[in-house]
Amino acid sequence: MALLSPETTPDGTTGTAGSPETARRGRPAERPQLDPRERERLERAFSVPRARFLLGVPVAAILLVWSFVGAEFDFAKLGEGAANMGEFLSRMFPPTWDKLDVIVELLVETLQMAIVGTVLGAVLSLIVAFGAASNIAPRWLYYPTRWVMNVIRSLPDLVFALMFVSAVGLGPFAGILAMTVGSIGSIGKVFAEAMEAVDDGPVTAMQAVGSSRRQVVQYGVLPQAGPMLVSDTLLLFEGNVRGATILGMVGAGGIGLELTTAMKMYDYGHLSAIVICIIVLVTVIDQASAVIRRKIT
Amino acid sequence: MTTATTLSSAPPSTTLPLATVRGLRVAYGDRPLVLDGVDLDLFPGELVALLGASGSGKSTLMKALTGFAPVNEGSVRVAGYDLTNLRHGQLRGLRASVGQVFQQFNLVGRLSVLTNVLTGALHDAGPVNLVGGFSAAHRRRALELLDRVGIAHKANEQARSLSGGQQQRVAIARALMQQPRIVLADEPVASLDPKMSHAVLDLLHDIARQDGIPVLVSLHVLPLALEHSDRIVGLRHGEMLVSAPTRELDAEKLDVLYADVDGHDDRFDEEGDHRGAALA
Repeated sequence: MALLSPETTPDGTTGTAGSPETARRGRPAERPQLDPRERERLERAFSVPRARFLLGVPVAAILLVWSFVGAEFDFAKLGEGAANMGEFLSRMFPPTWDKLDVIVELLVETLQMAIVGTVLGAVLSLIVAFGAASNIAPRWLYYPTRWVMNVIRSLPDLVFALMFVSAVGLGPFAGILAMTVGSIGSIGKVFAEAMEAVDDGPVTAMQAVGSSRRQVVQYGVLPQAGPMLVSDTLLLFEGNVRGATILGMVGAGGIGLELTTAMKMYDYGHLSAIVICIIVLVTVIDQASAVIRRKIT
Repeated sequence: MTTATTLSSAPPSTTLPLATVRGLRVAYGDRPLVLDGVDLDLFPGELVALLGASGSGKSTLMKALTGFAPVNEGSVRVAGYDLTNLRHGQLRGLRASVGQVFQQFNLVGRLSVLTNVLTGALHDAGPVNLVGGFSAAHRRRALELLDRVGIAHKANEQARSLSGGQQQRVAIARALMQQPRIVLADEPVASLDPKMSHAVLDLLHDIARQDGIPVLVSLHVLPLALEHSDRIVGLRHGEMLVSAPTRELDAEKLDVLYADVDGHDDRFDEEGDHRGAALA
């Protein structure tokens, strides 16, 4: 007889298991119970906030006031400034379009910088992200990679731009390098988190068929993270187009230099034309990436 | 712990078992034993149902057979591999020779049905598949397997567009793509409706008989186990209390598995998902 009853179980510990009927009826007394006071509190429609919430509100308020004071935020000044702002804006109209060819040429350069910076940045970020995703990378690689990414993220792109301008000279190349390195910090982290967020099931299944680590990533992780990675890359591209206009201010190529020059020369009509062109470009790119995002997700 | 009498009536044939477990004890870290002295043999051509309440150690036993759970004590031999003494690189070989089917199917939803099946052959795919290519021979076999499970017409569709029952068939085809020596199915029908459950278990039973491989299926619905299995192995609190040919068993005899289990009885719970309830 293969079937063993509880009474005949060799170690004897299960002999006191009781009849199946007892088990079927259940034993509410043995179940973990909700604390009656907690139950009463949960049943109340309007409950008194917990102590930590009551403490947290004044702490947050003090922090906010402290920051307003420290940052010299002044409503009166804002009111006075509004008039100046209006005057500044009024000077920008009408825009003058006589140097449109220069603007277009520089905008195209800005766009090219953003494209190259995004592609290089995304490729490098993807490589780095493998090392920074806790479900892929071994511990010894994970922590150093995260640390390097944190260091890069804590530095503004403008610092990288100045660094690369002094290294490779003025021009778009320095700007591209700055964008590429900068994106490792920002988008590398986002990529890593997209890979960490994938459903574990298919990853387990890939391990279960005897795949190598590389195959698990290729067939289990990347197909799941794909839409997120593309979406994040588009976001990086949008950011790089805007970023490229700022990098130009320190001589790292793009339309930024023309923008600052126009400001310094009080050439408001030209400035206005540049700003309008940038807005048009950024809007077109935003719309295009929205369409792509809809298609892939 | 569990005596030899438990095993005496087990072998359905004279052939050698493809998996042998002796005195297996498993614990995760410092926590109590999840498996406490389990003995098990799996013979070619049989479908063995693994029964037990939530938290009885069914999933852990499945995991221990493929190196996903630690073996603290005892011996586990699967498809010629000794799990207590695996040499470097053998784990992949072991897993490649054990086909696994999961409760949640675990398909890669955005990949096509065909690619999902092809991933079963990853262990013997050459470097060419770095760019995603599988050989024509692999593709032909994957399509034949899809024919066998009855969904070849969906080969080009995304896996996530399929129904639960269809996805589980794809998962079974993926397991067969491995040319497994054993198939393990952990609650394969727990997410399916009763009709689909019978169909999937019929399919697994056919695979066991036609391919002459052992199929171990964990279930928590007694009638399904009694109808579809050749043999039933039952766990309670990590101990093996039942191991007998299905024809010698009935629901009453299996009651012992569910006695004294958290005062909770989920035998007839058709759609339970008890992952969180285990090991309270």
